[in-house]
Amino acid sequence: MHHAFKLGEAEYELELSRGSAGYRLHFDGATVAVDLAAVPGDGTVLITHGVSEPVFIATRGDAVFVHLDGAAYQLAYEHPLDRLAQQSQGAAADAVRAPMPGSVISVLVQAGQTVTRGETLLVMESMKMETTITAPRDGVIEAVHFATGQTFDRDALLLNLQLEKST
Amino acid sequence: MNSTPAITADLAARVAQWPFRSVLIANRGEIALRILRTVQKLGLEGIVVYHQADRAAPAVRAADRAIEITGSTPVAAYLDAAQILAAAKTSGAGAIHPGYGFLSENAGFARAVADAGLAFVGPTPQQIELMGDKVRARAFVEQGGFPVAPSAIEDDDPKTFVERARHVSLPLLIKPAAGGGGKGMRIVRDLAVLEAEIERARSEGQRYFGDGRLYVERYIENPRHIEVQVLGDAHGNVVHLFERECSVQRRFQKIVEETPSPALTAELRARICETAAGIARAAGYRNAGTVEFIFGQEGEFYFLEMNTRLQVEHPVTEEITGKDLVFEQLRVAAGEALGYSQNDIVASGHAIEFRVYAEDPARGYTPTTGPVLMLREATGPGVRVDSGIAQGQDVTAAFDPMLAKLIVFGRDRSEAIARADKALAETVLLGCQTNIAFLRRLLNHPAFVAGQVHTGFLDAHPEIAAEPALDQNKLQRLLAAAALSVRPLRDAADAVPAMHAAIGGWRN
Repeated sequence: MHHAFKLGEAEYELELSRGSAGYRLHFDGATVAVDLAAVPGDGTVLITHGVSEPVFIATRGDAVFVHLDGAAYQLAYEHPLDRLAQQSQGAAADAVRAPMPGSVISVLVQAGQTVTRGETLLVMESMKMETTITAPRDGVIEAVHFATGQTFDRDALLLNLQLEKST
Repeated sequence: MNSTPAITADLAARVAQWPFRSVLIANRGEIALRILRTVQKLGLEGIVVYHQADRAAPAVRAADRAIEITGSTPVAAYLDAAQILAAAKTSGAGAIHPGYGFLSENAGFARAVADAGLAFVGPTPQQIELMGDKVRARAFVEQGGFPVAPSAIEDDDPKTFVERARHVSLPLLIKPAAGGGGKGMRIVRDLAVLEAEIERARSEGQRYFGDGRLYVERYIENPRHIEVQVLGDAHGNVVHLFERECSVQRRFQKIVEETPSPALTAELRARICETAAGIARAAGYRNAGTVEFIFGQEGEFYFLEMNTRLQVEHPVTEEITGKDLVFEQLRVAAGEALGYSQNDIVASGHAIEFRVYAEDPARGYTPTTGPVLMLREATGPGVRVDSGIAQGQDVTAAFDPMLAKLIVFGRDRSEAIARADKALAETVLLGCQTNIAFLRRLLNHPAFVAGQVHTGFLDAHPEIAAEPALDQNKLQRLLAAAALSVRPLRDAADAVPAMHAAIGGWRN
């Protein structure tokens, strides 16, 4: 299996194939007959196990937004190649991302600078509160992607640390 | 209940006598659209100002005229009094409605509007100044014989401060005089540590606000926030329109407001509402206003502050009284007398407002952003949506994260709650995460259903904000919906005909 979706922090591998009518979802050891069908008006129904229910779906890039059973969910499609690349690099600790949308108040480091774990890298402002962004590990700053006064969305890449040299 | 006035020939004739024919709305979002609705219904011209970030907003489309304003940030544009006055001049506006927030409680702006010969849809500048200064407002209310929390203010006589603080009954709350946002506050439950805590609070006040002056007041445990809607005209008439309970808060911001309050008996309701009307009367108050109280578990209540503007949560009052508060504000600004007395104001039923925020409750209520890819508003009996967003618009971090308000009305509280749950479930907003699912968990929580809430309710019940685990069946359906909507997965499936797929390795 090499297709996957992220939902919250969890990642789910799955596969889709054609069925005699509609499709089949292969997930977690089970195969389920599934399909989407348009209904008169502007609605869509999701059919699973032969049961139909209304669903609202919107996509944007790799993000899939689903309103099902009275609540909205955001899923992210993960490209097989990206997942491969991620697995080989294990890069999570090298990227410093924004915990929430906001703007940069000050940047305390520059590319090439050596930092220690916990050191303040950048101060941001969000909801009229200041938040400090600290180094996730010891390392060397590879790049700073935002300057003072610039705004960013949640999960924006603020800074990069140079890749760890393998020991 | 439909609170917008029917336009009778009589009303049209009265409105024709008003000193203004057009109203400029110096605000944005849902409230700009809400005010516009009444302005246009009355046959007046509705003008809005807008920053470029709001160009796709419903209010801009609905306005008879929309004038772009600029600023170093989008918020700065809406705070730029000179630019807004210039827009009023170019457009020939006869009145300015400030909405809430931004310039609504800025006495200098109110004065400048009057100096420009326009009607300000709000109170007098002096009333804004009085109620805007928390220490002055508190002293004014106390002098009138109305209840304020027992306190000792250092500035009154610094030498006797500690002694006076000892005589305020326990528990005590020490607050920096220059403070705000909960910083530097300390609770004292034992007089033995009072002096040490005062010194600590002083050094914190010095550090946070550059000002070490303090005051001490009686600390109310797990209080409710109850406020009263008042309405006054320029002829000395003041009435109240009952209370609103706004105890469900996060980070000192309201999330759910309702009326009547589940905490009040008829006797307490009469007392708190009369107190609010009395305070407004003492101030000769003109315009719609809100007197906020802190309400203790023993039924004791104290003046907190007065907001001299239309409140975010005004719709619940409109739903139970049938009064259109924006219409009343415009009438008063036009110089009309209220024309009715307290006994003419009758409330029926129960109304609850839910604020739809672009935020992630499970991550400390941090704001979220994104495009509004799909929007379906709830409809149905007793359902009202005051919204400031449209499909295709972007939710950005530039403004307050409130997107819309869902207001439900029912014959009683349980009918209102049931209608709210259904309406929230039917509200579809895709592309930007919202707190809608959280609101449903909140309104189904046993303590909320029982009406037993206080301002620390959400902190005491962190499970309401937490993202619940998905059951396997729901997960399967979500993944099916997502997989069927993604091109690479569909293409991969379609590339292998069903028969071959059946021979492949997918049987279990």
